[in-house]
Amino acid sequence: MSEILAPYLKAVEYIRSKSNGVTPEIGVILGSGLGSLGEQIENPSIIPYNEIPGFPVSTAIGHKSRLIIGDLGGKKVVAMQGRFHFYEGYTMEQVTFPIRVLKLLGIKVLFVSNAAGGLNLSYRVGDLMVIKDQINMMPNPLIGPNAEEFGPRFPDMTHPYDVELRRLAFRLAREMGIHLQDGVYVACTGPSYETRAEYKFFRVIGSDAVGMSTVPEVIVARHCGLRVFGMSVITDLAREDMPDDYVTDGEEIVKAANQATSKMTALFEKMIAAI
Amino acid sequence: MDTLKSAASYVADFISGPMPEVGIVLGSGLGSLADSIENPQVLPYSKIPNFPVSTAVGHKGNFIIGTLSGKTVIAMQGRFHYYEGYPMTIVTMAVRVMFLLGVRTLFVSNAAGGINPEYHIGDLMIINDHISLQPNPLIGPNLDELGPRFPDMTRPYDPALIRKAREIANKLGWSLHEGVYFGDTGPSYETPSEYRFYRTVGGDVVGMSTIPEVIVARHCGMRVFGMSVVTNEASGDFAEDYQNDGEDVVKAADAAASKLTRIFKELIASL
Repeated sequence: MSEILAPYLKAVEYIRSKSNGVTPEIGVILGSGLGSLGEQIENPSIIPYNEIPGFPVSTAIGHKSRLIIGDLGGKKVVAMQGRFHFYEGYTMEQVTFPIRVLKLLGIKVLFVSNAAGGLNLSYRVGDLMVIKDQINMMPNPLIGPNAEEFGPRFPDMTHPYDVELRRLAFRLAREMGIHLQDGVYVACTGPSYETRAEYKFFRVIGSDAVGMSTVPEVIVARHCGLRVFGMSVITDLAREDMPDDYVTDGEEIVKAANQATSKMTALFEKMIAAI
Repeated sequence: MDTLKSAASYVADFISGPMPEVGIVLGSGLGSLADSIENPQVLPYSKIPNFPVSTAVGHKGNFIIGTLSGKTVIAMQGRFHYYEGYPMTIVTMAVRVMFLLGVRTLFVSNAAGGINPEYHIGDLMIINDHISLQPNPLIGPNLDELGPRFPDMTRPYDPALIRKAREIANKLGWSLHEGVYFGDTGPSYETPSEYRFYRTVGGDVVGMSTIPEVIVARHCGMRVFGMSVVTNEASGDFAEDYQNDGEDVVKAADAAASKLTRIFKELIASL
C-alpha cells in the first residue's frame, strides 16, 4: 500500500464497515446552515467525524460534523454535514482530507454548497447562485509534493465546475420555477469578515459572491478527476453602502441559509436523480 | 491565552499608577510622538516574558506608559511585522496585551507608499478602510474570551473618530487625505504592476503593517483610529534607475510626524 494513500484508505475502511459496504457514487458537502439535505437521505448510515480515523473535528457554527450515507434521488450518496475550514487552524491537507476519502469510497461526482455574501449588486438574501467559476485568495491545497496516486502535478482549472451539470441545474430549475443566479465565488480565509474596501476589490476583479470555504475542496476534487457542481446560498449582502452601525452577524447568516435550504435541497435531489 | 495573560500581568506589575486606557502603535519613523508623553515609564519589550524583539529599520522596541493629553496611554515604540518572520499571533500579541491592561481605544500609524497619484511624500492620510493580502491573524481556534469567531469588519476604523480628526485638521487649516490602506506582507517592495493592481482595486496607500493589529483590536471590540504618512510615491511611472530606499522613508516620515502627533494628541484629549 502506498504511504500517501494509507491514511485515506484507513478512513475508507472504517466508513465501509459502518455503512454496510455501500459504494456511494455521489458526494455532497453541506455548508453552514445547509445541513438539512442530510435529513432527506433514506436508509441512512450516520458516522460522526470524530469516529473516523484521520478526520479532524469541525468547530464552525451551524455545522453538525457527520457523514450520512444512504439513498437520495434513487442513487447511493454520501453527504458531509459540516466541513473543515482553513480559518479553524487546520492545514489544507486536513481541510481537504475528506474529499480524497470520498474519492476512494467511489464517488464520481461532488456537489458542494456554501453560505456566501452577495457581492453582485443585483443579488438578494436567499438567492441561490450556481458557481460558474472561482477566485482563490487562500493558500493552494496542492502545495507540497504531488500525490501522483490522486492526480497530476499541475491540474487544469479551465472548468472547475462541470459544464453539463451546470446546464442540468438551469434546466431543472426552470421546470421547478426556481430562479438561479450564475456567478463567480471568491474564497478568503476569514475568519474576520471582509471590509467594504475588500468587497469592492473582489467585485472589481469579477466576483459575485464571497465566502470562506469550498475552493480548497474543489481544487482537490478536480485534481483527482471528480466532476463538481457548486452552489452558494446568498445569506447576506456584501455591500459598501451599509449604515455606520451595520454589523455582519454569523447567527443571521445561518438563519438565512436555513430558510433557503429547502429550494437547494429540492434542486440537488432532482439533479442527483437525473445524473 | 496564558501567554497573553502572563505578559499582561508583567506589564501591569511594572506600571506604577493608573492602567492605560488608550493604546498607540508608532510606525516606522513615527516614534517621536513618544517624546510628548509625560512622566514616561519605559519598558523594553525584551524584558517582557514571551515578547519578541522588533528588528525593523527605524523602530525601537519599548512600551512607553505615561500621560498624554490628560489620559493614561501606552505607546508601542516599534512594532512587529509579519515580514520579520514572526507568526501572526506574535505580530498581534502587543495589541492583545494592551486590551488586557484595559485599553479600549487604539491609535495606529504607519509609513506607507502613496499609490493614489494625488498623494505626495509627507502627506497624511486618515485610514477609512483597508484591503488585506496578508494572512489573517485570527486563523486558528478562536479565543472566545477576547471576541467572536467571525468578527465584523464593516467599519474597522471608527467613523466618529474619523469625523473628529477631520474637524481638528480643518481647525488647524491642514488638508488630510482619507483613503484605503492596502496591506501586503513585504519585505520586498511592490513592483510597478503590483502598484497598478492595488490602485485598480481601490487602494490609496500600500504598506506592510497595521492590518493584523487592527483586525485583532476589532476582534476584542476596541475602537480604532489609523493614520498613514506617505513616505514615498508609488504611482507606477518610475525612471529606469529609480529605487525604493529605506533611509528616505524614515526621513519623510519624520517630517510629517509632528502633524500626526498633534492630531493624535487632540483626538486623545477629546475621548
